[in-house]
Amino acid sequence: VLDFAEVSLGTGGDVRCGRCHGAADAVTFLDAATLAERIAEAAAGAGAPGPNVALTGPEPFDHPELPLLVAAAARAGVARLRIDTDAAALSNHGNAAGSIAAGVRHVRVTLLGGSSGTHDALRGTPGACHAALAGLRAYTRAAAEQDAAVCATVLVPVCRHNIRDLPAAVAAAGEAGACSVLLRVEDGGADFDAALPWMTAACDTGVVNGVWVELEGVPYCMAPGAPIHLADTHRSRAGMHGPRCAGCPLVSFCAGGPADASADVLASLSAPDGAAALVGRVSLVRGAGA
Amino acid sequence: VKAPMKVALLALNSPGYQSLALGYLRAYAQADRRLAGRVAFQTLDLTVEADPWWVAWRVLGLEPDVLGVSVTCWNARAVYEVCRIVGQVRPECAIVLGGPEVGAIAEDVLRANAAVHAVVRGEGEATFADVLDTIARGGKAWRVEGVTARRGDDAVSAPDRALIADLDTVPSPYLTGLLAPVDGGSYLETYRGCPHRCAYCFEGKGYGRLRHFSEARVAAEIDAVAGAPGVRSFSFIDPVFNLTPERLRTLSGLLAPHAARGVRLHTIEVDIERIDAEAAVLLAAAGVGSVETGPQTVGHAALEKSRRGFDRERFENGVRALRALGISVECDLIVGLPGDDIFDFLAGLRFVLSLDPGALQSSTLHVLPGTDLWERAAELGLSFDSEPPHEIVATPDIAFREMRRAEVFADSVQRAYRARV
Repeated sequence: VLDFAEVSLGTGGDVRCGRCHGAADAVTFLDAATLAERIAEAAAGAGAPGPNVALTGPEPFDHPELPLLVAAAARAGVARLRIDTDAAALSNHGNAAGSIAAGVRHVRVTLLGGSSGTHDALRGTPGACHAALAGLRAYTRAAAEQDAAVCATVLVPVCRHNIRDLPAAVAAAGEAGACSVLLRVEDGGADFDAALPWMTAACDTGVVNGVWVELEGVPYCMAPGAPIHLADTHRSRAGMHGPRCAGCPLVSFCAGGPADASADVLASLSAPDGAAALVGRVSLVRGAGA
Repeated sequence: VKAPMKVALLALNSPGYQSLALGYLRAYAQADRRLAGRVAFQTLDLTVEADPWWVAWRVLGLEPDVLGVSVTCWNARAVYEVCRIVGQVRPECAIVLGGPEVGAIAEDVLRANAAVHAVVRGEGEATFADVLDTIARGGKAWRVEGVTARRGDDAVSAPDRALIADLDTVPSPYLTGLLAPVDGGSYLETYRGCPHRCAYCFEGKGYGRLRHFSEARVAAEIDAVAGAPGVRSFSFIDPVFNLTPERLRTLSGLLAPHAARGVRLHTIEVDIERIDAEAAVLLAAAGVGSVETGPQTVGHAALEKSRRGFDRERFENGVRALRALGISVECDLIVGLPGDDIFDFLAGLRFVLSLDPGALQSSTLHVLPGTDLWERAAELGLSFDSEPPHEIVATPDIAFREMRRAEVFADSVQRAYRARV
């Protein structure tokens, strides 16, 4: 719901599935002066509520001048500064407490699965899952100790290799203190029909554990369980396009329908024969438009 | 000489707060000449988080002849448990309940809670004093106006009691020294009633027309609370602080000297659509640091069914006027109002967030006894928990599972919004 202007710290180092993408690219960082300028520009261009800025790209705790970047965000008047991290560094040497004290009130941790068996295997780094969850716990614990309001979220890039682990990933995120989980489908070859029950289970796991689960990259026609979980119900509809949309004749409607149409369309999807209703509705709209 | 009747007054408050209601009850009863020398009071201002068995232990330690408890929807379950334990251990103690949770369903409360002897309906001060006098004389509580009480196996309701015409006849708990002001946890009240008639709220319906405390009384209470050692902030319990421009000017003038010393007002409730630049300046001068307001919903059908108005432009202007002066505006939304579907609720969230108001509070609808929604629940197709706090279960437009999803979603949005430098 809250928009963050993203500032990438450099290139490479993404936490992603090694079986889909191969080995991670080498990391290069931009210098602090350049990044400070970009942070200021991003803050100036951000809308309400905000300004909100996220530091993305390679692991921020590996940037040699991260404290300067956080200070630059404060100088730029950033209301919410988010750091996208693998979280391993958060449990080291008071990093969590120091980050919160410096003004980092949002972190987004990337998990490829809810257990070492999935996350570590797909990332190719033994111990990474344990380190990520420990970092997340350290961050939320430090926030409680400082009586600071923070928001920890977890990003799960969904691919064919971790689909069955989605409910466990949500449960693990919730146990570690995350308030929401974003399931982002990026795999063009993923079998959505097979994935649907697991995404539905992940959403329900979140609800019963008090963790919100949001789906991105899931087409309109694949709304699992309840449309409210679709990113599109409260964000731009660009996020509703998944790899499966490429050959869909309805894609232009999904992308360019009237702004207030999404509620109706999504409501129709929750009907027992939602997909059929959607097709009928789109035909009607197109006919009327012509 | 007969020993005085021992009366214990119990409130289970939100942490950090004290019960203004108990202060009023005790101040009024202590000023009642019929009770002078015949009744001795003890007040237990505890928190709703306390273990009911421990609360009962505290109550029983006072060996009360009468236990009076203030009941709201959010502390009712704990109160009933305390009553059950106290009733088991000390059956001779007359347990009298009052407050918005029990007044409208008094007979049901008596039927469901064998330990409870009587329920005070509506405004409590005069009725409770009469109940004490009646018990002290060995009379029948069910004959007291405004009371529902046991007569044998039955629950009998006496006629309603008229509202207190002159609120200044209710002694101030602060000016009488019964309530010691607490930093951040003290409330003042300048009037009773509400100009609005929101269908989900008890305030407008329960107290009828507006009745005001005198300006002199309000001024004296402000000085007593704002001037108390250690008090840096307090609040008002008034449903609409900016009731009229004239009244706002008066209150601002009374509060300004204390604001100049750094005393702040927190979370006062305002009608945001009636706040312009001038009103915002008055609120700032009064030391207002934060206000609480609607819109509760932006859905047309829900607004109509809830008997609420909403002018988007005036609402936006009101928020902007306050934010320009650094006043945080807590915007409230309710999940599950009749007429709203899930997308109406999401539209409300988007609207509120677009204003960057400073604070956001989303809560699930409680169908409260005595409210318009309580009475029209069947007509509106509302399914709600009959047990307090009477949370909505489902509506014709939002199914049970959708409602729970919306709650979790709203909570995550609140947490994300609140997390900022």
